Amino acid sequence: MSRLPDMSPPTGPHQRAVHTCHDGTSRTVYWTDEEVPYPDGRLIVSRTGLDGVITHANEAFVELSGYSREELIGAPHSILRHPDMPRAAFADLWDTLKAGRKWHGYVKNLRKDGKHYWVYATALPNVRDGRVVGYTSVRRKPSRRAIEEVLPLYRDWLRQEAAEACA
Amino acid sequence: MTLNLLVAPDFAPENFPGWYMLATLLQHRSGTRLHLLMPADAREQAQMLADGLADLVYANPFDATAMIRDQGYRAFARPKAHSNEMVIATAAASPADHVEDLRPGCRIALTDNRDVRLVGLRLLEPADLTEHDIQWEPASSYQAAARMTLNGQVDAGFFLASAYHALARITRERLKVLVESRLRDISHVLLAHPRVADADLAPLAQALLAVDPADTGDAQVLQALGLPAGFEPMEREDAEFMIDLMDTLLD
Repeated sequence: MSRLPDMSPPTGPHQRAVHTCHDGTSRTVYWTDEEVPYPDGRLIVSRTGLDGVITHANEAFVELSGYSREELIGAPHSILRHPDMPRAAFADLWDTLKAGRKWHGYVKNLRKDGKHYWVYATALPNVRDGRVVGYTSVRRKPSRRAIEEVLPLYRDWLRQEAAEACA
Repeated sequence: MTLNLLVAPDFAPENFPGWYMLATLLQHRSGTRLHLLMPADAREQAQMLADGLADLVYANPFDATAMIRDQGYRAFARPKAHSNEMVIATAAASPADHVEDLRPGCRIALTDNRDVRLVGLRLLEPADLTEHDIQWEPASSYQAAARMTLNGQVDAGFFLASAYHALARITRERLKVLVESRLRDISHVLLAHPRVADADLAPLAQALLAVDPADTGDAQVLQALGLPAGFEPMEREDAEFMIDLMDTLLD
């Protein structure tokens, strides 16, 4: 897996952070406050290998992420990671998948242009002949009430993570 | 060699003769006798399958998932460029314009197509509606669901998109689409029972995949079926992928 290239800064007001990935590489990300509404009736579908590297991206994924299919295939799924998403949420995702179970959760995704979109995500292990060979993730339109409910929880987790980082 | 082909009962009524046209064409080209089983509803289909009558099944994706995973059926073809989509529609005069305008306690007309129910429930999620928030009103057909929606018996109806678009124009003009899915990756599947040997399936599968939309005669058959692009092979991994997708939609 190669290092993800830094994002390009948006033209309008934005924030900046440096993400450190689990493999030790880092990436500069930029984001704005602008949300892109999840389109009605669509499913975003992607598949990854066991290492979380994207091997399949459907048309809806390409359209909503703002990346080309060529940019997505071969990139780690963390290319979508928004700084407002706590690490604990993804840790739970990976722990659940590695235990062979299906994971559901609300996720704020970062687009290539720094905007974001909310999804209700389901991820599951792809079992072939009794072996897990990768993972499939399907995202669908979330309810606004559900997003409002998870926001305080995610903020708490982010505060805890920041406090632990400073400790 | 005779094979029984069961066709899931969720196609528009005008496509019914198309299955007989296809069976005639495939018998002629493959040398395999094909006997069609055309159950009237999901219950009759389940009984035919339980009785072991079907060698081949044109199954909806929901049923195909269980048949492949639990009963060892194998997928060998699917309609090309023909994904299973669904529509939630209300009467044109309804105050609802979006699915989010539907409220708990609303009444929805529903046929016994489980794919439509499953996808429909997912499309209701943005409105914070679960199956327990809905008053379900059973409909015997999509035409019946449209009538119930038009006469105010229900607030909305669930439709297989192909059946919705096949409704009479005058009916559609009095309805309003709240949401139409664009899932793309989920379709009906042609399955072979595990007792069918590869050698017995091969001539029929080859004849099916060779039905050519560019040939005038073949195109008439495909048009009659409502599957104008014909069929494409389906590998085991294609089927597994679709099953994984269906699995994500179950809850």
